[in-house]
Amino acid sequence: MAKITITIDGKPIQTEEGQTILEVCRKNNIYIPTLCYHPVLEPYGACRLCTVEVTRHGWPSLHTACTHPAWDGLVVRTNTAEVRAVRKTLMELFLSRTPNVPLIQEMAAEYGVTEPSYPVEDPNEKCILCGLCVRVCNDMVKAHVLNFSSRGVDRKVGPPFMEKTRECIGCGACTIVCPTGAIEIVLQKNAIYAAKPLGPTAAIYVPSLQAVPRVPVIDTDSCIRFRQRDRSNGEIEDACGACQMLCEANAIDFTQQDEILELNVGAIVVATGFQMWDSTKLSQYSYGKSPNIITALEFERLSNAAGPTGGQILTADGVKPERVAIIHCVGSRDKNPNAHEYCSRICCMYSLKQAHLVRDKTHAEVYEFYMDMRAFGKGYEEFYERVQEEGVVMVRGRGAEVQVLPSGKLRVTGEDANLGKLVAVDVDMVVLSSAIEPPADAQKIAQLFGLSRTPDGWFAEAHPKLKPVETNTDGVFLAGAAQGPKDVPDTVAHAGAAASMAVALLNRGEVTISPQVAVVDEKFCSACKTCLNICPYAAISFIVEDNVARVNEALCKGCGTCVATCPAGAITGKHFTDDQIMAQIEGLFRVPELVEA
Amino acid sequence: MPKLKSLDELRELRSRLKHEIKARTETATTITVGMGTCGIAAGAREVMQAFLDELSARQIDAHVVTTGCIGMCSKEPLVDIQQGNEPRITYGNVSPAMVPRIIEEHLIGGKVVQEWAVGRLVKEA
Amino acid sequence: MADLHRADVLVSCRHGRTPELVTALRDEIERRGLAEEIRVVETGCSGFCSVGPVITVRPEGHFYASVQPADVPELVEETLVKGRFVQRLAYKEAAGRKAITRYEDLPFYAKQMRIVLRNCGMIDPRSIDEYIAVGGYEALGKVLTSMTPDEVIAEIKKSGLRGRGGAGFHAGRKWEATRRAKGDIKYVIANGDEGDPGAFMDRALMEGDPHAIIEGMIIASYAVGSHQGYIYVRDEYPLAVENLTLAIQAAREYGLLGEDILGSGHSFDIRIVRGAGAFVCGESSALMQSLEGKVGEPRAKHVHATDRGLFDRPSCLNNVETLANVPQIILNGADWFASIGTERSKGTKAFCLVGKVRNPGLIEVPMGMTLKQIVNDIGGGPPKFRKVKAVQTGGPSGGCIPASMLDIPVDYESLTEAGSMMGSGGMIVLDDRTCMVDISRYFLEFLKEESCGKCAPCREGIKRMLEILVAMTNGTAKAGDLERLETLAKTVQTASLCGLGKSAPNPVLSTIRYFREEYEQHIKDGYCASGACRELTAYVIVDEKCKGCGLCIKVCPQEGISGEQKQPHYIDQAVCIKCGACYDVCRLDAIKIVPKAAVSLGGNGGNGHGTPAATPAKDKPGAAKGKA
Repeated sequence: MAKITITIDGKPIQTEEGQTILEVCRKNNIYIPTLCYHPVLEPYGACRLCTVEVTRHGWPSLHTACTHPAWDGLVVRTNTAEVRAVRKTLMELFLSRTPNVPLIQEMAAEYGVTEPSYPVEDPNEKCILCGLCVRVCNDMVKAHVLNFSSRGVDRKVGPPFMEKTRECIGCGACTIVCPTGAIEIVLQKNAIYAAKPLGPTAAIYVPSLQAVPRVPVIDTDSCIRFRQRDRSNGEIEDACGACQMLCEANAIDFTQQDEILELNVGAIVVATGFQMWDSTKLSQYSYGKSPNIITALEFERLSNAAGPTGGQILTADGVKPERVAIIHCVGSRDKNPNAHEYCSRICCMYSLKQAHLVRDKTHAEVYEFYMDMRAFGKGYEEFYERVQEEGVVMVRGRGAEVQVLPSGKLRVTGEDANLGKLVAVDVDMVVLSSAIEPPADAQKIAQLFGLSRTPDGWFAEAHPKLKPVETNTDGVFLAGAAQGPKDVPDTVAHAGAAASMAVALLNRGEVTISPQVAVVDEKFCSACKTCLNICPYAAISFIVEDNVARVNEALCKGCGTCVATCPAGAITGKHFTDDQIMAQIEGLFRVPELVEA
Repeated sequence: MPKLKSLDELRELRSRLKHEIKARTETATTITVGMGTCGIAAGAREVMQAFLDELSARQIDAHVVTTGCIGMCSKEPLVDIQQGNEPRITYGNVSPAMVPRIIEEHLIGGKVVQEWAVGRLVKEA
Repeated sequence: MADLHRADVLVSCRHGRTPELVTALRDEIERRGLAEEIRVVETGCSGFCSVGPVITVRPEGHFYASVQPADVPELVEETLVKGRFVQRLAYKEAAGRKAITRYEDLPFYAKQMRIVLRNCGMIDPRSIDEYIAVGGYEALGKVLTSMTPDEVIAEIKKSGLRGRGGAGFHAGRKWEATRRAKGDIKYVIANGDEGDPGAFMDRALMEGDPHAIIEGMIIASYAVGSHQGYIYVRDEYPLAVENLTLAIQAAREYGLLGEDILGSGHSFDIRIVRGAGAFVCGESSALMQSLEGKVGEPRAKHVHATDRGLFDRPSCLNNVETLANVPQIILNGADWFASIGTERSKGTKAFCLVGKVRNPGLIEVPMGMTLKQIVNDIGGGPPKFRKVKAVQTGGPSGGCIPASMLDIPVDYESLTEAGSMMGSGGMIVLDDRTCMVDISRYFLEFLKEESCGKCAPCREGIKRMLEILVAMTNGTAKAGDLERLETLAKTVQTASLCGLGKSAPNPVLSTIRYFREEYEQHIKDGYCASGACRELTAYVIVDEKCKGCGLCIKVCPQEGISGEQKQPHYIDQAVCIKCGACYDVCRLDAIKIVPKAAVSLGGNGGNGHGTPAATPAKDKPGAAKGKA
C-alpha cells in the first residue's frame, strides 16, 4: 500500500493509504472524542463528536474524522477553537438528552458542560442513538434484530415493533458496544442456571489459567459466527468475525477443526482426574427438583466474578438468600449402592470455604450438616475454627433429606448427633457437597494403558506405600485424582512426583529390558485374538495386514499368561519354551551318573 | 408498434405525426371558415370538412379555423385565406367542389383564384 | 375520421374538477358532431395555477381561465362551432381590468422563457407520438448518430448547465467524472424526489413532459457509458409515476429504450423506483440507499457517487429538470444555451411562485432575472393593500431575502450570497402580515419532522432550535435565547452529516440576519408586529380613524366586534381569536396590532374599546406596557 504523509496538529505523520483520519489519530495516540465509533464497525458519522478541521488545497473546513479518508497532504487540526465550540454544543445536546449517563456527564465536563442546557424530557433516557448496537447486530452478528424505527426526533432503537423476538440469539454484542449502558440483557427467571450448567462465558477464552501453550480457544457453541452458521444451516457463514478483525497477529482461523495427533512418546502420565457424582442418584436430596438446590461446583460458578451473576450469591429468583444449608458427604461415605463408600476428601474444606463466602457476601445464616470434619491439612483446622467463629451453624450429622416446600422454600432435616435429636431447618438455598468419582470412561483408559483399578474404581498404583505414582505398566504413571480423591496441594505433590518419574525414565535414554518375553509363532497364530484381552500389560496387538497377533517386547513382562492361554499353542515365552522347561524337568529328575574317578 | 431502427425512421415517423399536432404549431397559412348560423346554413361545415380532407391528403401545412358571421351573409360560405404577410383573400359562395382548386392554385401555386374571390384585406400596418 | 384536426382543446391543470370538465367537453363535442374535427387533449400543468383549470383552444390561442363543467356548452357553441371568444370566461388581470383573450398575450407567460416546461400544457404527456411530433428524441438521434460520448460531455460542459436540484454542480463535470470512473456497470439516476413544501416543478415536469426526462437520461447514459437507469419518484406523485411508466413503455415499444437504440448499438433501460416520501431521500446518498432497498439515510460523501454510488458503482445522479434541459442543449447547441442567463448560471430555472402574489404558479425564467421582476411582472405583485416583506427561496433549506434586496438577480451565487439558496426552486412571497420568527418556526417544524435522525446535530439541534423559536412566538423566550439560537444554528450548519442538516438553519440564520430587530421585539417586548404570533398580539380599534362602516363586524368569525353605525366599533378581547380578518378588511387603517400585554382581558370591551393607553395609535408598544 502506498505511503502517505498527513499533518495532524502540526506533526507530520507517515502512514499507509486507506485509513480514516480517526484511525491514524488512534494509532498515534492523538485523542479525539467519539461516541458512535467502534473499530470493528463501518464508520457511521452520527455523533459528529470527532469533528476536526481538515485543510485540503488551502481550504479549511470541518469534517468528521471517522469518515474522512486520510489522503496524502491533508492538514488536520483536532482541537481548534471552532472544533471545540462544535463539540461543546454537541455535548450540550447530548447531556440534555441523557442527563444521567456517567460517560456523557464526563465527556460533557471536558467541554465545561456540567448541566443540561435544554429542557430534559426523560431523565432516565440512556440511548444516544449512536447506532452501534444496530450496526453490530446487523453487520457483525447478522441477526438483524435491532434497528431504528421512526424518523428524526422520534427515532428509537429496538427489535421490530418493539416486541420480543426469537431472532435474538442473546449474544450480548449490543450491550458490549453500547457506550451508555442503554441496553441490558435481562435473564429470564430461572435462566441463570439454565443456559448452560456453568452459565455463559465469553466465546473466546484461554481454556485454563495454566494452559500450555497459552492460546485462546473458540467455543463454537457460544461463538456468534458458529452459532449463526448452525442456525442458518450454513447460509450465514460470515457473521461477526470481530476477533479476526482486531487480532493484529492475524492468528484467528475459523477453519480450524479438531484433530487427532499421534505422537511417539517414552512415558505417559495419566492425569484424567475425577468427575462429579450424579446427585440425582440419591433422591432424598431432591437435586433437580428446585433450582435452588445446587452442587458445590455450581456454587463455585455462581460465586465466581465472571459467573452469571457477576459473583453475587443469588437464588434463582435473583434475590439474596436469607438461609443456606450446606450438606456434606452427599454420595460419599455411604453404603447405598448408588453412592460411594469412600471419603471424597476435598468436600470438608471447600464446604467451609463456601460457608465463609456466603457469610461474607450475603450475611445469610449458614447451616453445615456434617458427619466428621476432616480438616487434616496444614492450616485447615485453623480455618475451621475461623468459620465457626463467623457464626456458621454446625450440625453434626448427615443431612438426611431435602424437601421442596410448596412455597418454594427448602426444608433440610437430619439428626444432630450432638443433641441426639432430629432437626429441621427451612432455607432458601441448599448446596450439596457431592462426591467425586472416577470418570465414566476410566475403564477404557485402564484397558488402553494396562492399568488396574481398585474396587472403588480409581486407578491402582503399583504399590500403596513404595510406588505411589507408578503403575504395573512400565513408563505409565499416575497423577492427581486419577489415583484417588485429592485436594489441590496433594494433587500438585503427586503430579510432581509423576513428572519426576517420567523425566527420570526419559533421561536414561536407553532402557534395558528383560529378554524373557513372549513371542508369537505367526505360522500357528489362528487370529483368534484371545491373547489380546488376557494380556495384563496390553502388550499384544493384532496386526490386521498380516492377520496375526504380535507382542510388543518393550511392554511384555514375560508373565506367560498368553503362552498358557493360546489355544493354538502359537505363543511361547522366550527362555521358557516348552522344550526348555521339559529339559529342565528332565534335568531335575536325572540321576547323576557316577563318574568314575 | 414497430421499433425504430434508425434516426431516419424516427424522422419519418415525426413527419407523419406532425399533422397530429398541427393545430398547436406555427403555420404560414390560416384558412378561416365563416361559421355563423348563416354560414352553417349555407354549408360551411361541409366546406370546412372538404378543406380538412384535402389538406390532410396533400399533407399541407395550414390551420383551419372558424369564425362567426362577418356580415356578408349572402355570400356564405365565406372562406378567408391568409398566407404569411400576403393580403388576406376572401372567397365567397364556396362549395366543397371548389376546395381542391383553391388549394391547388392559391395555397400551392400562390395564385389567387380571381373569379371566386370576393375581396382582399390588406393588413393594417 | 379526418386525419387532420381543425382544433385542439388543451385542458391543463390537475384541478379536482378537471376530469369532470374533460368528460363534459368530450360529451358536448360528440353531441355536436364535432368529434372528427376537434380533439380534447389533457396536457400537463400549464403553470398558471391560480386560475385553473385552464383551457387553451388551438390554433386560435383562446385562453379560458377557471372553467367549470357548467361552462362547457357555451364554450363549445361559441368557440368551437362559431369561432367566437366567450368574454365571460376570459382571464382578467384584476377586477375591472381589461380581459386577456389570447394565451400569447398573458403577462404571466410573456415574461417567462420556457425551455424545460415548453411542452407542459402543450402536449399530451401520455402520447409519445405528440412528443415526437414536436421534435422529441431528435436530440437523441443526433447524439447517437453523429456525436461521440466525449463530444456530448464537451457540449454539456460548454453549455454551462448546472444541477437544478439546488446545489448547482456542473452537470457536464459530473458526467465526465462518471465516464472516467472505473467499472463496467454504471448507473444514470434521475432524482424526482421533490419534497419542499410548496414546490411542484418536478412533479409538473414528470407529469407534463416525461419523455423529455427520459430522452435526457438516454443521452446521459450514452455519454457516461451506462446501460441502466433509475428514476426515483415519490409515491405521493401517482400521476407522475403513471405518466413516466407509460412513457417508458412507449419508448420501449419504439425501441428508444432497450437494446441497440436507433441502430446505434447503445443499450439502455430505465426502472422507476417509488420513494416513500421522506424529504431526506432527495439527498443523493440517501436516495441511493433508498434505491438499494435500505432505509433512506445519508452517508458521508468523501468518495463521490460518480466513483462509488448506487451499489458501490459509478453513478450519475441528476435532477429531472437538469435532464430535461439536455435534449434542448443538444438540439440548439451549447452556445444558444450559454447565451441565456448570467455569467455563471446558464439557462433557465423553473420556480414555484407561491405565497402572497396574485398569480401564483409554475414559472420558468432565464437565470439572472431579478426577484422583483418575478414577483411583480409574472406574479402580479402582492394582493391589494399588502406589501412584499421578503421572498423565501430554496424550500425549507433556503432563506428569506428581504424586500430591500429584491433587485438581486436569481442565480446560484447571488442567492447563496444573500444567505439563501437556489434549492430545487421553491419561491414563497411573504407579505407584511408574515412574522419572520413564525416563518422560521414553520420551516423548522417541517425539518424536525423530516430530519432522518441519524446524526445528532440535526436531530437534537433542530429540536432545540424549534423549542427556542416556539418560546419566542408564545412569549416565553428569555434574554439570551437569540444568541443561543444563533450558536446552535451555526453548529448544526457546520457539524451535520448531510445537506439537509447543513442547510436546516438557513431559514433561521437568514431571518436573523435581515430581521434581527423582529426577533428582539419578540423576546424583549413580547410583541409581534405582523400579528402572526397570536399569543403576543391583540387587535384594537383606533377610535379616531374608525368611521363605523361595519365591514369588520361582518367578517369577524367570532362575532366579537360590535358598535353602532357611524360610531367607532370595538373588539371584545375575551372572544377575539386574532385571526386578523378585521385588520385585513379595514380600509381606514383603523385596526391596530398591539402587544397583548397592552390590553386587559377584563369585561366586555374594556380597553379593547379604542386604544389601550391615553394616546391613540401606539406604534411603540413599549409605551403601553404599564397597563399590563
